[in-house]
Amino acid sequence: MTLLEITDLQTQFETSEGRVHAVDGVNLSLEANESLGIIGESGSGKTTIAKSIVRLLPDNGEIVDGEVRYDGDDITEYSDRQLRKQIRWNEIAVIPQNAMNGFDPVYTVGDQIVEVITAHTDTPNDEAMERAKSLFQTLGIDEDRVHDYPHQFSGGMAQRAMIALALALDPSLLIADEPTTALDVMIQDRILHRIQELQDELDTAMIFITHDMSVVSETCDKIAVVYGGRIVEFADTETIIKNPRHPYTLGLRNAFPSIMTDDQDLVSIPGTPPPLLEPDEGCRFAPRCPFAEERCWSETPQSEPYGDGNTIECHRADEHERIRPEASKSETWREQEEVIEADD
Amino acid sequence: MSFQSYVIRRIGQVIVTYWAFLTILFVLFRVVPGDPVSMHVQDLGAEAREERIAELGLDQPLYVQYVEYLRQLARADLGQSMIYNESVWNIIVVKFWNTIILMAASLILAYAIGILGGALLAWYRGTAFEKGGIVLTLLARSSPEFWTGIVLLGVFVFWLGLFPVGGMRSIGSELATGVGRYLSWDFVYHAVLPALTGAIYFLGTPALLMRNSMLDVLNADFIEIKKAEGLHPWNVLYKHAVRNSILPLVTIAAIAVGMAIGGSVVIETVFNWPGMGRAMVDAVNNNDYQLAMAAFFLMGSVVILMNFVADLLYVYLDPRVTYE
Repeated sequence: MTLLEITDLQTQFETSEGRVHAVDGVNLSLEANESLGIIGESGSGKTTIAKSIVRLLPDNGEIVDGEVRYDGDDITEYSDRQLRKQIRWNEIAVIPQNAMNGFDPVYTVGDQIVEVITAHTDTPNDEAMERAKSLFQTLGIDEDRVHDYPHQFSGGMAQRAMIALALALDPSLLIADEPTTALDVMIQDRILHRIQELQDELDTAMIFITHDMSVVSETCDKIAVVYGGRIVEFADTETIIKNPRHPYTLGLRNAFPSIMTDDQDLVSIPGTPPPLLEPDEGCRFAPRCPFAEERCWSETPQSEPYGDGNTIECHRADEHERIRPEASKSETWREQEEVIEADD
Repeated sequence: MSFQSYVIRRIGQVIVTYWAFLTILFVLFRVVPGDPVSMHVQDLGAEAREERIAELGLDQPLYVQYVEYLRQLARADLGQSMIYNESVWNIIVVKFWNTIILMAASLILAYAIGILGGALLAWYRGTAFEKGGIVLTLLARSSPEFWTGIVLLGVFVFWLGLFPVGGMRSIGSELATGVGRYLSWDFVYHAVLPALTGAIYFLGTPALLMRNSMLDVLNADFIEIKKAEGLHPWNVLYKHAVRNSILPLVTIAAIAVGMAIGGSVVIETVFNWPGMGRAMVDAVNNNDYQLAMAAFFLMGSVVILMNFVADLLYVYLDPRVTYE
């Protein structure tokens, strides 16, 4: 059953320099109990996609076009009140990047869990507090710590408490925005595992937003690669890790170390992410792409299906067999770097 | 460190502050030019003059005067007024409470309106409401108290005839003593305009400070999470945003109390309010050491006490404040 279906979503920000097309025609779908990773550089629009779903955009941002269907209903059409009562936290809960800042510092964590439970249900306070305690146990935190203030928690524990808060109303979809970026690797790993276990236990769908390829490869069923406000490649995790087709995905893969191969050359993608101010026609990755041709500069590539439900936006997608080995060589990207520097 | 030992240590600091304050007060009044005797006993002969100075203890060396001064204060004896020849305590205590009640009313009104208004200004940032609100706030903040007072008098007294022109009670009304003085409708009726004048003057600071503090808090991650939680917007505003933004105002409010007590003289003059501000200015003009010092002493005590209260309140309001 499709839980979330996003069609041609366009979110823009009004700034003093013009309109920023932060999300520019995104299509995504997510099944119940599926986990989806959204991966991209900073400023690629990945967080804006998430915020558009729950409509938590800043005042200068708006969804100008497209649909976000949740359980079949287009929730972009919902009134603020409807969204607040029916969707937020009841159906879709959010786990922020820095849990420490996600809690109000002047109330205890338990009180904040109680607050959200009583705001949405008729549960009496003491029952809600019991629920908070049992959530703490589920997450492996001592239940007495519900009476502690957020600053009394360590980073990893605060993140687990945040997950407890997110699970307070049994949501069907969890959106985690870089949930482990602020933590050290050991704790990161433990928390990712716990999230995965919980997701299976509770039948919750999940959207993972990250710039870290290794995080999504471990936890997600599917991965959407975002570049310049568009999803340039969308496929199951195995395809993205082993046989991606988009040059950007191939480049991203090079930038992350693998512990399997020994002396791997880490190569970054040269150049910087594109400005999203009134973008021109043409592929947005073309300026940084070693494989860009004439038409890449003049024609915006459209989404093409491949394999089993995968999509790609690249004019040269058909040539992936030839491009892939080229892209894994560091010379290819170094040459492109020289081209970019020469242009400057 | 426990809360108790924190409080004890703060009390120790208060005592040291107090001592420094009393010493400065003593020195200040000894170094100002002129002396009470030469100003008011000019017509007397040199002998009578000496006599008077000896009577006031001013012929003693400074350190003796200083020790005597501290001993008097320790006995809660504010001395005799050098001009009125009456106990300073009797002159000042009623005036002190008159001022305190008036300024407390002004400040409570100012901070209540300022905090709620400032919060709304931040919440509705970028709207016409915000722009108009800021202009009004700045207008209120920059109008001199006497001008605001006169405008209020003009409108509510001379034009609409709603309130009395000044004073603290109607002529011929029964003279209550103690707390009863302030528990009559007649008193409230007289206090409305002066309290409002003060409130208008004071509310700018908390309103603008609250707005700035709120704008910071509204950008915090947890506000977004509270919105994502589907809480009612008013709950997000008052339970979370306002509650957090109010913290820096606690300190400012404590300082404002001291400023208000000291600055009440203008309002007291416009509304003919029998308060301490006027008594203090008169005392300084007359070189009435004892009376002026007592007035400054009470004012300073209020400031020190309020800062102490603010520190304790802060610990209660912000769980992150540790006692170290």
